[in-house]
Amino acid sequence: MTGTLERRGLRYVLLIFLVGCTRAERAEPAVAAQLSPARALTYQSACAECHARAGTGAPAAGDAAAWTARRAQGFGVLLAHTVNGYRGMPPLGACGACSEADLRALVAYVAGLEEGAQ
Amino acid sequence: MKGLTRRELLRAALAAGAGAAGLAACERSSTGPAAALPEWTPGAPLPWRNWSGAVRCLPKARLVPGDEAEVAALLRAGGALRPAGAGHSFSALVPCDESLVFLDRLQGVIGQDAAAKTAEVWAGTRLWQLGPALAALGQALPNQPDIDYQTLGGALATSTHGTGAGLGSLSSYVTGLALVTPAGEVLECDAQRNAEVFHAARTSLGALGVVTRVRLSNREAFRLVERSRFVPLESVLADLARERDAHPHFEFYAFPHADVALAIATDPDDGSGAPPASAGEDDPEAILLLRTLFRWTRPLPGGSWLYDTFLGMQPATARAGQSHEVLAHPRTVRFNEMEYTMPAEAGPECLRAVLAEIRARDLPVCFPIECRFVRADDVWLSMFSGRPGFSISIHQFADEDYRPYFAAIEPIFWRYEGRPHWGKLHSLDAARLAGLYPHWSDFQRVRRSLDPSGRLLNAHLAQTLGV
Repeated sequence: MTGTLERRGLRYVLLIFLVGCTRAERAEPAVAAQLSPARALTYQSACAECHARAGTGAPAAGDAAAWTARRAQGFGVLLAHTVNGYRGMPPLGACGACSEADLRALVAYVAGLEEGAQ
Repeated sequence: MKGLTRRELLRAALAAGAGAAGLAACERSSTGPAAALPEWTPGAPLPWRNWSGAVRCLPKARLVPGDEAEVAALLRAGGALRPAGAGHSFSALVPCDESLVFLDRLQGVIGQDAAAKTAEVWAGTRLWQLGPALAALGQALPNQPDIDYQTLGGALATSTHGTGAGLGSLSSYVTGLALVTPAGEVLECDAQRNAEVFHAARTSLGALGVVTRVRLSNREAFRLVERSRFVPLESVLADLARERDAHPHFEFYAFPHADVALAIATDPDDGSGAPPASAGEDDPEAILLLRTLFRWTRPLPGGSWLYDTFLGMQPATARAGQSHEVLAHPRTVRFNEMEYTMPAEAGPECLRAVLAEIRARDLPVCFPIECRFVRADDVWLSMFSGRPGFSISIHQFADEDYRPYFAAIEPIFWRYEGRPHWGKLHSLDAARLAGLYPHWSDFQRVRRSLDPSGRLLNAHLAQTLGV
Protein backbone atom coordinates (compact mmCIF):
# COMPACT_ATOMS: atom_id res chain seq x y z
CA MET A 1 0.00 0.00 0.00
CA THR A 2 2.76 2.39 0.90
CA GLY A 3 4.45 1.78 -2.38
CA THR A 4 1.25 2.50 -4.20
CA LEU A 5 0.82 5.71 -2.32
CA GLU A 6 4.37 6.69 -3.07
CA ARG A 7 3.77 6.29 -6.73
CA ARG A 8 0.40 7.90 -6.74
CA GLY A 9 1.47 10.71 -4.47
CA LEU A 10 4.40 11.75 -6.57
CA ARG A 11 2.46 11.18 -9.70
CA TYR A 12 -0.03 13.72 -8.59
CA VAL A 13 2.58 16.08 -7.26
CA LEU A 14 4.30 16.21 -10.59
CA LEU A 15 2.04 15.17 -13.36
CA ILE A 16 -0.87 17.26 -12.31
CA PHE A 17 1.26 20.35 -12.57
CA LEU A 18 3.28 19.44 -15.59
CA VAL A 19 0.91 17.57 -17.79
CA GLY A 20 -2.12 16.52 -15.86
CA CYS A 21 -3.57 19.93 -15.07
CA THR A 22 -6.48 19.11 -17.21
CA ARG A 23 -9.12 21.44 -18.37
CA ALA A 24 -12.03 20.67 -16.17
CA GLU A 25 -15.38 21.60 -17.58
CA ARG A 26 -15.84 25.32 -17.51
CA ALA A 27 -19.23 25.94 -16.16
CA GLU A 28 -21.03 28.98 -17.40
CA PRO A 29 -23.13 29.98 -14.44
CA ALA A 30 -25.84 32.50 -14.94
CA VAL A 31 -24.46 35.94 -14.35
CA ALA A 32 -26.21 37.59 -11.45
CA ALA A 33 -28.60 40.37 -12.14
CA GLN A 34 -26.61 42.82 -10.07
CA LEU A 35 -23.74 42.87 -12.58
CA SER A 36 -23.94 45.40 -15.34
CA PRO A 37 -23.41 44.08 -18.88
CA ALA A 38 -19.84 45.35 -18.88
CA ARG A 39 -19.08 43.72 -15.56
CA ALA A 40 -20.81 40.54 -16.65
CA LEU A 41 -18.43 40.44 -19.62
CA THR A 42 -15.50 40.92 -17.24
CA TYR A 43 -16.80 38.13 -15.07
CA GLN A 44 -16.99 35.79 -18.04
CA SER A 45 -13.55 36.58 -19.41
CA ALA A 46 -11.58 36.96 -16.19
CA CYS A 47 -13.29 35.65 -13.05
CA ALA A 48 -14.88 32.60 -14.67
CA GLU A 49 -11.49 31.31 -15.75
CA CYS A 50 -11.05 29.97 -12.23
CA HIS A 51 -14.23 30.66 -10.28
CA ALA A 52 -16.51 28.85 -12.71
CA ARG A 53 -14.26 25.88 -13.31
CA ALA A 54 -13.85 22.82 -11.18
CA GLY A 55 -10.45 21.74 -10.01
CA THR A 56 -8.60 25.04 -9.94
CA GLY A 57 -8.73 25.37 -6.18
CA ALA A 58 -10.61 28.64 -6.46
CA PRO A 59 -13.91 28.78 -4.59
CA ALA A 60 -16.70 28.61 -7.11
CA ALA A 61 -18.93 31.58 -7.65
CA GLY A 62 -22.17 31.00 -5.85
CA ASP A 63 -20.87 28.12 -3.73
CA ALA A 64 -22.15 29.30 -0.37
CA ALA A 65 -20.28 26.68 1.61
CA ALA A 66 -16.97 27.53 0.01
CA TRP A 67 -17.38 31.20 0.82
CA THR A 68 -18.64 31.10 4.39
CA ALA A 69 -15.24 31.22 6.07
CA ARG A 70 -13.85 33.58 3.51
CA ARG A 71 -16.67 36.05 3.92
CA ALA A 72 -16.08 35.98 7.66
CA GLN A 73 -12.72 37.64 7.08
CA GLY A 74 -14.50 40.75 5.96
CA PHE A 75 -15.04 42.34 2.61
CA GLY A 76 -11.89 44.43 2.92
CA VAL A 77 -9.74 41.34 3.16
CA LEU A 78 -11.39 39.75 0.13
CA LEU A 79 -10.92 42.93 -1.85
CA ALA A 80 -7.28 43.33 -0.81
CA HIS A 81 -6.59 39.69 -1.74
CA THR A 82 -8.13 40.36 -5.11
CA VAL A 83 -6.10 43.48 -5.79
CA ASN A 84 -2.79 42.22 -4.45
CA GLY A 85 -3.15 38.62 -5.54
CA TYR A 86 -3.42 35.81 -3.07
CA ARG A 87 -2.04 32.30 -3.57
CA GLY A 88 -3.33 31.26 -6.99
CA MET A 89 -5.43 34.40 -7.34
CA PRO A 90 -3.65 36.75 -9.73
CA PRO A 91 -3.51 40.45 -8.86
CA LEU A 92 -6.65 42.35 -9.78
CA GLY A 93 -8.39 39.06 -10.39
CA ALA A 94 -6.86 38.95 -13.87
CA CYS A 95 -8.73 42.15 -14.71
CA GLY A 96 -6.21 44.94 -15.09
CA ALA A 97 -8.89 47.07 -16.68
CA CYS A 98 -11.08 47.01 -13.60
CA SER A 99 -11.62 50.02 -11.40
CA GLU A 100 -11.99 49.62 -7.65
CA ALA A 101 -15.75 49.91 -8.10
CA ASP A 102 -15.67 47.11 -10.68
CA LEU A 103 -13.67 44.91 -8.35
CA ARG A 104 -15.96 45.60 -5.43
CA ALA A 105 -18.98 44.57 -7.49
CA LEU A 106 -17.28 41.47 -8.88
CA VAL A 107 -15.94 40.32 -5.51
CA ALA A 108 -19.39 40.73 -4.02
CA TYR A 109 -20.91 38.74 -6.84
CA VAL A 110 -18.39 35.90 -6.80
CA ALA A 111 -18.49 35.68 -2.99
CA GLY A 112 -22.27 35.66 -3.01
CA LEU A 113 -22.66 38.85 -1.02
CA GLU A 114 -25.70 41.03 -1.21
CA GLU A 115 -25.40 44.13 -3.31
CA GLY A 116 -24.21 46.92 -1.08
CA ALA A 117 -22.54 44.58 1.38
CA GLN A 118 -19.19 45.97 0.31
CA MET B 1 -7.53 6.96 -4.63
CA LYS B 2 -10.19 9.62 -5.11
CA GLY B 3 -10.77 9.67 -1.39
CA LEU B 4 -7.22 10.71 -0.57
CA THR B 5 -6.31 14.33 -0.34
CA ARG B 6 -3.18 15.70 -1.94
CA ARG B 7 -1.62 16.25 1.45
CA GLU B 8 -2.29 12.67 2.49
CA LEU B 9 -0.62 11.47 -0.67
CA LEU B 10 2.34 13.72 -0.11
CA ARG B 11 2.72 12.62 3.48
CA ALA B 12 2.86 9.04 2.29
CA ALA B 13 5.51 9.88 -0.25
CA LEU B 14 7.57 11.88 2.20
CA ALA B 15 7.29 9.31 4.93
CA ALA B 16 8.36 6.56 2.62
CA GLY B 17 11.15 8.50 1.11
CA ALA B 18 12.72 10.56 3.79
CA GLY B 19 11.49 9.98 6.82
CA ALA B 20 15.62 51.61 -18.02
CA ALA B 21 16.11 54.93 -19.19
CA GLY B 22 15.84 57.08 -22.39
CA LEU B 23 12.88 58.54 -24.22
CA ALA B 24 10.29 56.74 -22.18
CA ALA B 25 6.91 58.39 -22.04
CA CYS B 26 5.82 56.15 -19.18
CA GLU B 27 8.56 56.55 -16.66
CA ARG B 28 8.07 54.83 -13.37
CA SER B 29 7.38 51.26 -12.51
CA SER B 30 8.40 48.77 -9.90
CA THR B 31 9.77 45.36 -10.62
CA GLY B 32 10.87 42.76 -8.14
CA PRO B 33 9.76 39.81 -6.07
CA ALA B 34 6.11 40.23 -5.23
CA ALA B 35 6.76 40.26 -1.50
CA ALA B 36 8.99 43.30 -1.89
CA LEU B 37 6.30 45.44 -3.49
CA PRO B 38 3.86 47.47 -1.39
CA GLU B 39 0.49 45.91 -0.76
CA TRP B 40 -2.69 47.75 -1.64
CA THR B 41 -5.17 48.62 1.06
CA PRO B 42 -8.72 49.85 0.51
CA GLY B 43 -8.84 53.53 -0.21
CA ALA B 44 -5.39 53.72 -1.78
CA PRO B 45 -4.99 54.38 -5.51
CA LEU B 46 -5.50 51.19 -7.46
CA PRO B 47 -2.25 49.83 -8.93
CA TRP B 48 -1.82 47.65 -11.98
CA ARG B 49 0.13 44.44 -11.33
CA ASN B 50 1.05 41.56 -13.56
CA TRP B 51 0.04 37.93 -13.06
CA SER B 52 3.04 37.02 -10.96
CA GLY B 53 2.73 40.20 -8.91
CA ALA B 54 6.32 41.24 -9.55
CA VAL B 55 5.61 44.16 -11.90
CA ARG B 56 3.56 47.13 -10.81
CA CYS B 57 2.59 50.64 -11.76
CA LEU B 58 0.05 53.30 -10.81
CA PRO B 59 -1.72 54.42 -13.99
CA LYS B 60 -3.63 57.67 -13.96
CA ALA B 61 -6.20 56.19 -16.34
CA ARG B 62 -7.48 52.81 -17.38
CA LEU B 63 -8.96 53.16 -20.85
CA VAL B 64 -11.38 50.48 -22.01
CA PRO B 65 -12.64 51.39 -25.49
CA GLY B 66 -15.85 49.83 -26.70
CA ASP B 67 -15.04 49.75 -30.39
CA GLU B 68 -12.26 50.45 -32.84
CA ALA B 69 -13.33 54.06 -33.33
CA GLU B 70 -12.89 54.66 -29.62
CA VAL B 71 -9.43 53.10 -29.78
CA ALA B 72 -8.54 55.51 -32.56
CA ALA B 73 -9.98 58.46 -30.68
CA LEU B 74 -8.05 57.84 -27.52
CA LEU B 75 -4.83 57.46 -29.50
CA ARG B 76 -5.52 60.72 -31.30
CA ALA B 77 -6.06 62.37 -27.95
CA GLY B 78 -2.34 62.22 -27.27
CA GLY B 79 -0.42 61.48 -24.10
CA ALA B 80 1.62 58.53 -23.01
CA LEU B 81 -0.02 55.16 -23.00
CA ARG B 82 0.66 51.47 -23.13
CA PRO B 83 -1.58 48.72 -24.46
CA ALA B 84 -2.11 46.07 -21.83
CA GLY B 85 -3.33 42.54 -22.43
CA ALA B 86 -4.26 40.21 -19.61
CA GLY B 87 -1.11 41.14 -17.70
CA HIS B 88 0.55 37.75 -17.91
CA SER B 89 3.95 39.01 -19.08
CA PHE B 90 6.74 38.78 -16.56
CA SER B 91 8.77 41.52 -18.20
CA ALA B 92 7.83 45.15 -17.62
CA LEU B 93 6.16 45.69 -20.99
CA VAL B 94 3.02 47.24 -19.56
CA PRO B 95 3.83 49.71 -16.76
CA CYS B 96 2.90 53.28 -17.52
CA ASP B 97 1.99 56.02 -15.08
CA GLU B 98 -0.24 57.78 -17.59
CA SER B 99 -2.75 55.58 -19.43
CA LEU B 100 -3.18 51.86 -19.92
CA VAL B 101 -5.38 50.68 -22.77
CA PHE B 102 -7.33 47.46 -22.38
CA LEU B 103 -9.28 45.67 -25.10
CA ASP B 104 -11.48 43.81 -22.65
CA ARG B 105 -14.59 44.98 -24.50
CA LEU B 106 -13.23 43.85 -27.86
CA GLN B 107 -13.57 40.10 -27.56
CA GLY B 108 -14.73 37.21 -29.68
CA VAL B 109 -14.78 35.99 -33.24
CA ILE B 110 -15.76 38.62 -35.79
CA GLY B 111 -16.10 36.37 -38.82
CA GLN B 112 -14.74 33.34 -40.58
CA ASP B 113 -13.94 31.85 -43.93
CA ALA B 114 -15.01 28.27 -43.48
CA ALA B 115 -13.39 27.05 -46.68
CA ALA B 116 -10.05 28.70 -46.03
CA LYS B 117 -10.17 27.89 -42.31
CA THR B 118 -9.47 31.44 -41.30
CA ALA B 119 -11.12 33.54 -38.65
CA GLU B 120 -10.99 37.21 -37.75
CA VAL B 121 -10.83 37.70 -34.01
CA TRP B 122 -10.81 40.72 -31.70
CA ALA B 123 -7.41 41.09 -30.10
CA GLY B 124 -8.91 41.38 -26.61
CA THR B 125 -10.08 37.75 -26.74
CA ARG B 126 -8.52 35.61 -24.06
CA LEU B 127 -6.89 32.48 -25.36
CA TRP B 128 -8.87 30.27 -23.01
CA GLN B 129 -12.03 31.53 -24.66
CA LEU B 130 -10.64 31.40 -28.17
CA GLY B 131 -10.29 27.62 -28.33
CA PRO B 132 -13.97 26.86 -27.66
CA ALA B 133 -15.05 29.74 -29.89
CA LEU B 134 -13.06 28.40 -32.83
CA ALA B 135 -14.18 24.84 -32.11
CA ALA B 136 -17.76 26.00 -32.49
CA LEU B 137 -16.83 26.98 -36.04
CA GLY B 138 -15.08 23.70 -36.71
CA GLN B 139 -11.68 25.40 -36.51
CA ALA B 140 -8.70 25.28 -34.19
CA LEU B 141 -5.39 27.00 -33.74
CA PRO B 142 -2.67 24.81 -35.28
CA ASN B 143 -0.79 25.11 -32.01
CA GLN B 144 -1.05 27.09 -28.82
CA PRO B 145 0.89 27.80 -25.63
CA ASP B 146 0.50 25.73 -22.51
CA ILE B 147 -0.84 28.76 -20.67
CA ASP B 148 -3.97 30.36 -22.05
CA TYR B 149 -4.71 33.26 -19.73
CA GLN B 150 -3.35 35.83 -22.17
CA THR B 151 -5.27 37.96 -24.59
CA LEU B 152 -4.68 37.17 -28.23
CA GLY B 153 -3.19 40.62 -28.74
CA GLY B 154 -0.79 40.23 -25.84
CA ALA B 155 0.28 36.76 -26.91
CA LEU B 156 1.02 37.98 -30.43
CA ALA B 157 2.91 41.04 -29.23
CA THR B 158 5.36 38.74 -27.46
CA SER B 159 5.51 35.89 -30.00
CA THR B 160 4.04 33.46 -27.54
CA HIS B 161 4.30 29.85 -28.64
CA GLY B 162 3.67 26.21 -27.90
CA THR B 163 5.86 23.28 -28.88
CA GLY B 164 6.29 21.36 -32.11
CA ALA B 165 9.22 21.35 -34.49
CA GLY B 166 6.88 21.65 -37.44
CA LEU B 167 4.68 24.30 -35.88
CA GLY B 168 5.17 28.03 -35.50
CA SER B 169 4.43 30.60 -32.84
CA LEU B 170 1.01 32.19 -32.70
CA SER B 171 2.35 35.20 -34.59
CA SER B 172 3.34 33.02 -37.51
CA TYR B 173 -0.32 32.11 -38.13
CA VAL B 174 -1.45 35.72 -38.45
CA THR B 175 -2.34 36.53 -42.05
CA GLY B 176 -3.74 39.98 -41.47
CA LEU B 177 -4.36 42.52 -38.73
CA ALA B 178 -5.71 45.96 -37.98
CA LEU B 179 -3.35 48.35 -36.25
CA VAL B 180 -4.54 51.61 -34.74
CA THR B 181 -1.46 53.78 -34.99
CA PRO B 182 -0.35 56.36 -32.43
CA ALA B 183 -1.79 58.96 -34.80
CA GLY B 184 -5.18 57.30 -34.55
CA GLU B 185 -5.23 55.85 -38.04
CA VAL B 186 -6.57 52.36 -38.60
CA LEU B 187 -4.17 50.45 -40.84
CA GLU B 188 -5.27 47.22 -42.48
CA CYS B 189 -2.13 45.15 -42.81
CA ASP B 190 -1.19 41.91 -44.49
CA ALA B 191 1.52 40.60 -46.77
CA GLN B 192 0.32 42.93 -49.54
CA ARG B 193 -1.14 45.96 -47.76
CA ASN B 194 1.20 47.91 -45.48
CA ALA B 195 3.46 44.90 -45.66
CA GLU B 196 6.32 46.33 -43.61
CA VAL B 197 3.98 47.32 -40.82
CA PHE B 198 2.48 43.85 -41.01
CA HIS B 199 5.85 42.14 -40.60
CA ALA B 200 6.63 44.37 -37.63
CA ALA B 201 3.20 44.28 -35.99
CA ARG B 202 2.83 40.53 -35.84
CA THR B 203 5.24 40.72 -32.89
CA SER B 204 5.28 44.35 -31.86
CA LEU B 205 5.90 44.46 -28.09
CA GLY B 206 2.99 46.85 -28.17
CA ALA B 207 5.33 49.54 -29.48
CA LEU B 208 3.61 50.35 -32.76
CA GLY B 209 0.08 51.17 -31.67
CA VAL B 210 -2.86 49.01 -30.68
CA VAL B 211 -3.62 45.86 -32.66
CA THR B 212 -7.38 45.51 -32.54
CA ARG B 213 -8.28 42.74 -34.99
CA VAL B 214 -6.35 39.68 -36.18
CA ARG B 215 -6.98 37.24 -39.00
CA LEU B 216 -5.75 33.78 -38.06
CA SER B 217 -4.90 30.92 -40.38
CA ASN B 218 -6.37 27.95 -38.57
CA ARG B 219 -7.00 24.32 -39.33
CA GLU B 220 -9.96 22.04 -38.88
CA ALA B 221 -10.84 21.24 -35.28
CA PHE B 222 -8.90 18.21 -34.12
CA ARG B 223 -8.36 15.94 -31.20
CA LEU B 224 -5.09 15.14 -29.50
CA VAL B 225 -3.77 12.61 -27.06
CA GLU B 226 -0.95 13.61 -24.76
CA ARG B 227 1.30 10.88 -23.39
CA SER B 228 3.86 11.58 -20.73
CA ARG B 229 6.49 9.49 -19.09
CA PHE B 230 9.44 9.92 -16.78
CA VAL B 231 12.65 8.77 -18.34
CA PRO B 232 16.36 9.34 -17.75
CA LEU B 233 17.33 12.76 -19.00
CA GLU B 234 20.21 11.33 -20.97
CA SER B 235 17.91 9.02 -22.87
CA VAL B 236 15.72 11.96 -23.86
CA LEU B 237 18.70 13.91 -25.09
CA ALA B 238 20.13 10.92 -26.93
CA ASP B 239 16.85 10.30 -28.75
CA LEU B 240 15.83 13.92 -29.11
CA ALA B 241 15.88 14.29 -32.88
CA ARG B 242 13.73 11.22 -33.39
CA GLU B 243 11.20 12.21 -30.72
CA ARG B 244 11.09 15.78 -32.01
CA ASP B 245 10.27 14.61 -35.50
CA ALA B 246 8.00 11.73 -34.57
CA HIS B 247 5.32 13.81 -32.85
CA PRO B 248 3.52 17.00 -33.87
CA HIS B 249 4.13 18.28 -30.37
CA PHE B 250 7.03 17.16 -28.24
CA GLU B 251 8.57 18.78 -25.21
CA PHE B 252 10.30 17.74 -22.05
CA TYR B 253 10.94 19.02 -18.58
CA ALA B 254 14.35 18.65 -16.98
CA PHE B 255 14.52 18.67 -13.21
CA PRO B 256 17.25 20.61 -11.43
CA HIS B 257 19.32 18.35 -9.18
CA ALA B 258 17.87 15.20 -10.74
CA ASP B 259 18.78 12.95 -13.63
CA VAL B 260 15.29 12.34 -14.90
CA ALA B 261 13.09 14.19 -17.33
CA LEU B 262 9.41 14.20 -18.09
CA ALA B 263 8.93 13.61 -21.82
CA ILE B 264 5.59 14.71 -23.24
CA ALA B 265 4.52 13.61 -26.70
CA THR B 266 1.23 14.83 -28.13
CA ASP B 267 -0.24 13.23 -31.23
CA PRO B 268 -3.52 13.06 -33.13
CA ASP B 269 -5.99 11.09 -31.07
CA ASP B 270 -6.55 7.87 -32.92
CA GLY B 271 -9.14 6.54 -30.55
CA SER B 272 -6.60 6.02 -27.83
CA GLY B 273 -9.20 5.63 -25.14
CA ALA B 274 -7.13 7.89 -22.93
CA PRO B 275 -8.96 9.66 -20.14
CA PRO B 276 -10.63 12.85 -21.28
CA ALA B 277 -8.67 16.01 -20.63
CA SER B 278 -11.90 17.72 -19.67
CA ALA B 279 -12.50 15.43 -16.72
CA GLY B 280 -9.10 15.17 -15.16
CA GLU B 281 -7.95 16.03 -11.70
CA ASP B 282 -6.43 19.33 -10.84
CA ASP B 283 -4.62 20.59 -7.79
CA PRO B 284 -3.27 24.09 -7.57
CA GLU B 285 -1.08 23.03 -4.69
CA ALA B 286 0.75 20.35 -6.67
CA ILE B 287 3.92 22.21 -7.52
CA LEU B 288 4.08 23.49 -3.97
CA LEU B 289 4.11 19.91 -2.79
CA LEU B 290 7.00 19.22 -5.13
CA ARG B 291 8.85 22.07 -3.48
CA THR B 292 8.13 20.57 -0.08
CA LEU B 293 9.49 17.24 -1.23
CA PHE B 294 12.60 18.90 -2.59
CA ARG B 295 13.21 20.78 0.62
CA TRP B 296 12.72 17.69 2.76
CA THR B 297 15.02 15.45 0.80
CA ARG B 298 17.71 18.02 0.01
CA PRO B 299 19.46 18.15 3.41
CA LEU B 300 19.27 14.40 4.02
CA PRO B 301 22.19 12.05 3.46
CA GLY B 302 21.34 10.46 0.16
CA GLY B 303 18.55 12.97 -0.28
CA SER B 304 19.48 13.65 -3.86
CA TRP B 305 19.24 9.95 -4.64
CA LEU B 306 15.86 9.75 -2.93
CA TYR B 307 14.56 12.76 -4.83
CA ASP B 308 15.80 11.39 -8.11
CA THR B 309 14.36 7.98 -7.35
CA PHE B 310 10.95 9.36 -6.52
CA LEU B 311 10.84 11.25 -9.77
CA GLY B 312 12.01 8.31 -11.81
CA MET B 313 9.43 5.87 -10.52
CA GLN B 314 6.41 7.78 -11.71
CA PRO B 315 4.09 5.97 -14.09
CA ALA B 316 3.22 7.03 -17.61
CA THR B 317 -0.03 8.87 -18.14
CA ALA B 318 -2.24 9.94 -21.01
CA ARG B 319 -5.06 12.38 -21.59
CA ALA B 320 -7.09 13.18 -24.66
CA GLY B 321 -9.52 15.78 -25.92
CA GLN B 322 -9.98 18.71 -28.25
CA SER B 323 -6.71 20.41 -29.09
CA HIS B 324 -7.37 23.45 -26.92
CA GLU B 325 -8.23 21.22 -23.99
CA VAL B 326 -5.06 19.15 -24.27
CA LEU B 327 -2.49 21.78 -25.18
CA ALA B 328 -3.40 24.23 -22.42
CA HIS B 329 -2.80 23.66 -18.73
CA PRO B 330 -4.00 25.84 -15.90
CA ARG B 331 -1.19 27.33 -13.84
CA THR B 332 -2.68 28.31 -10.55
CA VAL B 333 0.59 28.43 -8.64
CA ARG B 334 2.18 31.69 -9.70
CA PHE B 335 5.80 32.07 -10.69
CA ASN B 336 8.26 34.27 -12.53
CA GLU B 337 9.92 33.04 -15.68
CA MET B 338 12.87 33.61 -17.97
CA GLU B 339 12.97 31.99 -21.39
CA TYR B 340 15.53 32.12 -24.14
CA THR B 341 15.32 30.50 -27.53
CA MET B 342 18.51 29.10 -28.90
CA PRO B 343 19.20 27.88 -32.42
CA ALA B 344 17.64 24.43 -32.47
CA GLU B 345 20.90 22.55 -32.80
CA ALA B 346 22.44 24.35 -29.81
CA GLY B 347 19.58 23.72 -27.42
CA PRO B 348 20.62 20.43 -25.83
CA GLU B 349 24.15 21.60 -25.14
CA CYS B 350 22.79 24.80 -23.64
CA LEU B 351 20.45 22.82 -21.41
CA ARG B 352 23.34 20.70 -20.15
CA ALA B 353 25.23 23.88 -19.30
CA VAL B 354 22.24 25.27 -17.41
CA LEU B 355 21.81 22.10 -15.37
CA ALA B 356 25.55 21.94 -14.67
CA GLU B 357 25.55 25.55 -13.46
CA ILE B 358 22.67 24.86 -11.10
CA ARG B 359 24.58 21.96 -9.61
CA ALA B 360 27.91 23.76 -9.52
CA ARG B 361 26.41 26.69 -7.64
CA ASP B 362 24.15 24.41 -5.64
CA LEU B 363 21.25 26.70 -6.42
CA PRO B 364 18.25 25.73 -4.27
CA VAL B 365 15.79 25.47 -7.14
CA CYS B 366 13.40 22.68 -8.04
CA PHE B 367 10.99 24.21 -10.56
CA PRO B 368 11.15 22.01 -13.66
CA ILE B 369 12.87 23.47 -16.71
CA GLU B 370 10.73 23.40 -19.81
CA CYS B 371 12.27 22.65 -23.21
CA ARG B 372 10.30 23.18 -26.41
CA PHE B 373 10.73 23.27 -30.17
CA VAL B 374 9.34 25.90 -32.53
CA ARG B 375 9.52 26.20 -36.32
CA ALA B 376 11.30 29.12 -37.98
CA ASP B 377 9.20 32.02 -39.22
CA ASP B 378 9.51 35.34 -41.04
CA VAL B 379 8.14 37.59 -38.31
CA TRP B 380 10.68 40.35 -37.78
CA LEU B 381 10.92 40.26 -33.99
CA SER B 382 9.79 36.72 -33.39
CA MET B 383 12.32 34.72 -31.38
CA PHE B 384 12.09 32.24 -34.26
CA SER B 385 12.77 34.73 -36.99
CA GLY B 386 14.81 32.99 -39.65
CA ARG B 387 15.80 30.01 -37.57
CA PRO B 388 14.10 27.08 -35.83
CA GLY B 389 14.29 27.39 -32.09
CA PHE B 390 14.86 25.36 -28.95
CA SER B 391 13.32 27.29 -26.08
CA ILE B 392 14.46 26.77 -22.50
CA SER B 393 12.31 28.19 -19.72
CA ILE B 394 13.41 28.54 -16.13
CA HIS B 395 10.96 29.44 -13.39
CA GLN B 396 10.95 30.50 -9.78
CA PHE B 397 7.99 30.56 -7.43
CA ALA B 398 6.40 33.99 -7.19
CA ASP B 399 6.95 34.08 -3.44
CA GLU B 400 10.70 33.58 -3.86
CA ASP B 401 13.33 35.94 -5.21
CA TYR B 402 13.98 34.92 -8.79
CA ARG B 403 16.91 37.27 -9.30
CA PRO B 404 19.89 35.22 -8.05
CA TYR B 405 18.79 32.17 -10.05
CA PHE B 406 18.02 34.00 -13.25
CA ALA B 407 21.17 36.12 -13.03
CA ALA B 408 23.26 32.99 -12.72
CA ILE B 409 21.70 31.30 -15.72
CA GLU B 410 21.10 34.16 -18.16
CA PRO B 411 24.74 34.46 -19.30
CA ILE B 412 24.63 30.84 -20.38
CA PHE B 413 21.80 31.64 -22.75
CA TRP B 414 23.85 34.48 -24.19
CA ARG B 415 26.72 32.12 -25.00
CA TYR B 416 24.38 30.15 -27.24
CA GLU B 417 22.97 33.13 -29.13
CA GLY B 418 19.75 32.94 -27.19
CA ARG B 419 16.92 35.33 -27.93
CA PRO B 420 14.81 36.31 -24.91
CA HIS B 421 11.06 35.81 -24.87
CA TRP B 422 9.67 39.34 -24.94
CA GLY B 423 7.09 38.63 -22.28
CA LYS B 424 9.54 37.00 -19.91
CA LEU B 425 12.35 38.33 -17.78
CA HIS B 426 15.64 39.25 -19.38
CA SER B 427 18.25 41.96 -19.10
CA LEU B 428 19.37 42.45 -22.69
CA ASP B 429 19.45 45.95 -24.12
CA ALA B 430 19.15 47.15 -27.69
CA ALA B 431 22.85 46.96 -28.41
CA ARG B 432 22.90 43.24 -27.77
CA LEU B 433 19.48 42.49 -29.20
CA ALA B 434 20.34 44.13 -32.49
CA GLY B 435 22.86 41.43 -33.23
CA LEU B 436 20.34 38.68 -32.67
CA TYR B 437 17.65 39.82 -35.09
CA PRO B 438 18.25 40.22 -38.83
CA HIS B 439 15.34 42.64 -39.10
CA TRP B 440 16.09 44.67 -35.99
CA SER B 441 16.77 47.88 -37.89
CA ASP B 442 13.71 47.33 -40.08
CA PHE B 443 11.52 47.12 -37.01
CA GLN B 444 13.12 50.23 -35.55
CA ARG B 445 12.47 52.13 -38.76
CA VAL B 446 8.80 51.19 -38.75
CA ARG B 447 8.49 52.06 -35.07
CA ARG B 448 10.05 55.48 -35.55
CA SER B 449 7.75 56.22 -38.46
CA LEU B 450 4.65 55.31 -36.44
CA ASP B 451 5.61 56.72 -33.05
CA PRO B 452 8.36 59.32 -33.53
CA SER B 453 7.82 60.90 -30.13
CA GLY B 454 7.84 57.61 -28.23
CA ARG B 455 4.39 57.95 -26.72
CA LEU B 456 4.08 54.19 -26.46
CA LEU B 457 7.42 53.60 -24.79
CA ASN B 458 7.94 52.90 -21.14
CA ALA B 459 11.27 52.55 -19.40
CA HIS B 460 11.60 48.85 -20.17
CA LEU B 461 10.84 49.32 -23.85
CA ALA B 462 13.12 52.32 -24.13
CA GLN B 463 15.99 50.21 -22.87
CA THR B 464 15.00 47.20 -24.94
CA LEU B 465 14.67 49.20 -28.14
CA GLY B 466 17.50 51.62 -27.43
CA VAL B 467 15.41 54.74 -27.76
